[in-house]
Amino acid sequence: MYGWIWRHLPGNAWVKALLSLLLVLAVVYVLFQYVFPWAEPLLPFNDVTVDGQ
Amino acid sequence: MAATTEEDEQGRAEERTGADERAGEPAPKPAPRQRGRGRIATAVSVFGELLITAGVILGLFVAYSLWWTNVIADREAKKQGNRVRDHWEAKGPGPIDTKDGIGFLHVPSMSGGEILVTKGTNPKTLNHGVAGYYTDPIKSALPEDDKGNFTLAAHRDGHGAKFHKIDKIDEGDPIVFESRDKWYVYKVYKTLPETSKYNVRVLDPIPKESGAKKADRYITLTTCTPVFTSNYRYVVWGKLERIEKVDNRRTPPRELS
Repeated sequence: MYGWIWRHLPGNAWVKALLSLLLVLAVVYVLFQYVFPWAEPLLPFNDVTVDGQ
Repeated sequence: MAATTEEDEQGRAEERTGADERAGEPAPKPAPRQRGRGRIATAVSVFGELLITAGVILGLFVAYSLWWTNVIADREAKKQGNRVRDHWEAKGPGPIDTKDGIGFLHVPSMSGGEILVTKGTNPKTLNHGVAGYYTDPIKSALPEDDKGNFTLAAHRDGHGAKFHKIDKIDEGDPIVFESRDKWYVYKVYKTLPETSKYNVRVLDPIPKESGAKKADRYITLTTCTPVFTSNYRYVVWGKLERIEKVDNRRTPPRELS
């Protein structure tokens, strides 16, 4: 999977490394900005109130 | 890890063979058995990479929950807190205004500075790094009310983690609430380290479970326990001891100095 991505990135090893880094940063950004905030309320770690339900 | 690398190399070796064939060079035909093993090896290596990816994502989620949400929440709480103080300065003394935050909670035994208090305890409110006073299931009283229970909730971990050190509060410790023109000094008289999340009676105007018998001015802090989970609730009760007027320089009461 990662090998496939590496082979399909253009340029020499340095360009590939730089592009990989950018890809990783983009993935982390999407996770922190969209995926985790969406997933968090679905997980039972953060309920702090007492309620009747 | 070592196994994955080995399999990866096998997969690459197989692909090189394929490229040779396309180039029209007479390449030795690999035995079918070997080719099958290569395909399995590829599948195993992809599976392994997916597992590693899942592990990294879970690690990132932990970093998100315990670090990044604090960064965001503290920034937001600071912004909201500054707005409240600016309004106070502009308007001068008066009763509690429930539109913005109503004031700040100071708990020396938890340290960590002031905690902005705003209306409501839904997750969206609490995620701003504030403590919320209950509107549901039992409506909280405000500190300025003659009688009642001022009930608050805040996060134990992440999102500012304002009540993270709630277990450091002992009986006899002060809890101070700062409003626009008054310091409300409460004294903790009872802590309940573990109770059911359905136990809404702890929010009663007279919280009987704490041993209270008659109507008075109570304060109740609730959060989740044990740390990093939400299985139970931790409750701290206090009773109003005295009220001090805020002076021009907002000199804090002696409990905070």
